[in-house]
Amino acid sequence: MNTTQLDDVIPKPASVLDKARRLLNDFKVWVNLDSGNLTAGQQLAVKYFTVAMILFVAQILFGLLSALQFIYPDFLYGILDFNVNRMVHINAMIVWMLYGFIGSIYWLIEDESGTDIVGLKWANIAFWVLTGAVTLVVLVYLFIQIGPGKDSSLWFINEGREYIEAPRWADLGITAVMLVFSYNVVATFSKGKWSGIAGVLTLDLIALIGLYLAGMFYMTNITHDQYWWWWVIHLWVEATWEVLVGVIMAWSLIKLLGARRKIVQTWLYIEVALMFGSGILGLGHHYFWIGMPEYWLSVGGFFSALEPIPLVAMVVHAIYDSGVHAFKTVNHPALAWVIAHAFGNFFGAGVWGFMHTLPQINLYTHGTQWSASHGHLSFFGAYATINIAFFYLAIQHWRGNVWMAAGTRHAWRWKWALGLLNAGVVGMTVALLIAGYEQSFIERAVEGSTWAGYFAAQNQPSFQHAMNWRMIFGLVTAAGLGLLVWDLLTIGKYEERKAEKIVVH
Amino acid sequence: MIEPVALKDFFITFFSSALIILAGAAYALLFAWSKVNAHIGIKIAALASYAVLIASVLELTRAAQFQGYWLIISVAMGVGYFFAPIGIWHLCVKTHEQSVDTPIKTKIQEDEQ
Amino acid sequence: MNETPLWASESFWKKTAIWVTAVSFVILIVLTMDSLSQTTAGGKRVPAYAVINKKIDYQFNKELNKSVPVIGEDEFLFGKQMTEQEAAELVDLGKKTAQTRNCMNCHTILGNGAYFAPDLTKAWLDQGWLSKDLREDLMVKFLMNPESNARTFGSNRKMPNLGITEQEARGLVAFLKWMSSIDTNGFPYNFKTIEAEE
Repeated sequence: MNTTQLDDVIPKPASVLDKARRLLNDFKVWVNLDSGNLTAGQQLAVKYFTVAMILFVAQILFGLLSALQFIYPDFLYGILDFNVNRMVHINAMIVWMLYGFIGSIYWLIEDESGTDIVGLKWANIAFWVLTGAVTLVVLVYLFIQIGPGKDSSLWFINEGREYIEAPRWADLGITAVMLVFSYNVVATFSKGKWSGIAGVLTLDLIALIGLYLAGMFYMTNITHDQYWWWWVIHLWVEATWEVLVGVIMAWSLIKLLGARRKIVQTWLYIEVALMFGSGILGLGHHYFWIGMPEYWLSVGGFFSALEPIPLVAMVVHAIYDSGVHAFKTVNHPALAWVIAHAFGNFFGAGVWGFMHTLPQINLYTHGTQWSASHGHLSFFGAYATINIAFFYLAIQHWRGNVWMAAGTRHAWRWKWALGLLNAGVVGMTVALLIAGYEQSFIERAVEGSTWAGYFAAQNQPSFQHAMNWRMIFGLVTAAGLGLLVWDLLTIGKYEERKAEKIVVH
Repeated sequence: MIEPVALKDFFITFFSSALIILAGAAYALLFAWSKVNAHIGIKIAALASYAVLIASVLELTRAAQFQGYWLIISVAMGVGYFFAPIGIWHLCVKTHEQSVDTPIKTKIQEDEQ
Repeated sequence: MNETPLWASESFWKKTAIWVTAVSFVILIVLTMDSLSQTTAGGKRVPAYAVINKKIDYQFNKELNKSVPVIGEDEFLFGKQMTEQEAAELVDLGKKTAQTRNCMNCHTILGNGAYFAPDLTKAWLDQGWLSKDLREDLMVKFLMNPESNARTFGSNRKMPNLGITEQEARGLVAFLKWMSSIDTNGFPYNFKTIEAEE
C-alpha cells in the first residue's frame, strides 16, 4: 500500500480536528443558546451541568453493560470485566451528582450574596482541572484497569475501594478543587452579605471536604479501612449531601416560589437538626458486621428508626403549604421533578431503607441485591431528581427566562422523559428487590452463606428472571435519559413568551 | 444481643417495616390534611392509619424478636410517630404566623373556586 | 396575632441545629476512639496478623447466640511459621492486591462491595475448597489462573485473569485467612465451615 492510498483510508489528524470543530459549531447553532442571558457565575454553573449530563449518560451506559453481564457473563469478558463497568457506573454517578451540586451553588451564590463571584478566574481553572482529572481517571479505569499490589498502583491507577476508587493523585486534585470552590463561596459571601443559607452552606462544605479526607488513607486492617470508608460514604450521602440539597431547595423556594426568607431559613435549621441528629449516628447501621464492637447494633438500629422523621416533617409541611399558599410555578418540568424527588426520597431512603436496616434482618440482607435495590431508588430519588429539576431551572434562564408553565411546546418530551426515567428506576428497584429477597432467603438463611449457597441463589430461575427484568427496565431508563437530554437541549427554543413574575408571599 | 429473624418470619419482617414507614407517613399526611379540612372522615382515616402503624410495630416487634432494651425502639416508634406530626404541625403554624393574614380555611375555599 | 414563640423562632432552631450536630459529632468521635482501639490488629475482635499460623474456625456459640471465630492449634500457612512482622507484610501485600485488582467491584468484603461474585469474608473457611489439605494450593492456583481453574458452580460466571503473581496470590490467601478470624458479630449467619465437614 503506498501513502496516497493510506491517506484515503486514515484521515489526517488536522482534518479530524477540523471536522470535530465544524460539528461542534453546527451543534451550537442548533441548540441556539445565548450565554448573554447568564451571569458569569451562571455561565460557570452551566459548564458543570453539561459535564454532569455527560457523566449521567456514562453512568447509565456502564450500568447497562454491567446488567447485561449478569445475564451473559461472557459478554466483554476479559475486555471490560464486570468490576470495571460497575466501577465506572457508580463513580460516574457520584461525580455527576457532585457536579450538579457544585454547579447549583455557583448558580445561586451571586444572587444570594448580592455580589459577583470572588475569584472567578480560579473557579474556571478549577472546573477545567477537575474535568481533566475526571477524564484521565476514567481513561485509566477503562484502559489500564488494574495494577500490581503496590502503593504506586494506589497512587496512579485505582484504590479499589467501592465509590472512592479514584487514585490518590486524583483525591488530592479533587480536594484542591473543592478548596477553590469553598474559597469562592466564603469570599463571595464575605464580600457581599451573609445569610442563614450561606452559613449552613459554608459549614456543610467544610464537613464535606473534611470527610473526603477520611477516605484517603491506606490501612492493612480491613476493619479500620471500612470504618473510615463509611465515614465518607455514609456521612456524604446521608448527611452532608442531604443538607446541600436542603440549601439548594431553600434558595429555590425563596427565589422561585416567593417563600419568605425567615420561614425558609427556620425550616432549613430544623432540617439540619433532624438530618444530622438522625444521620450522624445512623452511621452505626454500617458497622454491624465489619468487626466493630456489638454496641453499634443498638446505636445503628435506634438511629435508623429515627431517620424517617425528617421525611415525616416534609410530608406535614408540604400539606401545610399547599393549604396556606396558592403557589404558582413558572417551570412545570422543574416542579414535576421536585415532586418526583419527594416521592423518590420517601420510598427510596425511607421505606426501602428501613425495610432491611435493623440488625435482626440485616444479618441476612447485608451484602445482597437488597442493597442494590435500595441504592438505585434512593440515589435516584434523593439526588438525581433534584439535580434534573435544577437543570430545568437553568435552561429556562439560559433561554432568557422564557415561559415553561402550561402550554409549553413539545411538553410531551419532558413528560415522557419524566415518566420513562421514573418507571425505569422503579422497575429496576422492584426487580432487584425480588432478587435480593430470593438471595437473602436462599443464600443466607437456608444455605448458610457459603459459596455454593451464593451460586445456588444466583442460579435460581426467579433470580435470573429478576435480572432480565432489571435489564429491561434499565433500557427504559436509558430511553428516558435520551429523551431528557433531547428535551433539555430543545425546550423553550422557539418560545417567545416570558415567564411570569414571582410574587413574594 | 440480638435474636435474628426466623426463616418463616422473613416476609412479614420486610412487610411490617415497610408498612410502619408508609402508615406513619399516611397518618402524618391525613393528620395535616384534617387540620386544613375539618372533615370528620379525614380524621378517622388518620386514626385508622395510626392503628395500622401500631399493628405493624407490634408485628415487627414479634417478628424481629425484640427483647430487653430493643423494646425501646418499638415504644419510640409508637409514641414518636404519633406526636411528631402534631409537633411539626404546630411548628408550621407558629413559624408561618406573621405571614398568615387570612385564616387557613378561607384560603382553601378560595382555591376551590 | 401573637409574637412567634421561642420554640418556633429562627434563632432557636439555629442554636438547636448547631447543638444537635455538635453533640452527635462528639458522641461519634468518642465511639470512634473506643471502636478503633477495640479493633486494632492484635486485639480480641481483630487478631494479630500472626493468627495465620493457627487453625481458624467459625462456630456457633450458644451462650452468645452467634457464630464466633475459634482460633486453634498451629496450622502454618504454606508450611512455614511466620513472625508477626512477616505475617503483617504478607497480609499487607494481599490487602493491597485486593485493592489494586479491584476485587470489591465484583465481590463483597465483610459484606460490602458488589454482588456479582461471592462474599470473601470467610472465603478461607469455605467448603468450596474441598479439603483442608488441598485448600492453600487450590486457592493460589485459582487466583493466578482463574479461567482454567474456574469454580463457577454451574453459573457461567468466571473470574477474569487479573495477572496475579504467585507472591500476590499468597498474600491474598494470607489476607483471606486473617480476615476469616475477625469477629463479625455473627455475620455471615449460619455459616458451615470446611472444618465442620471433617
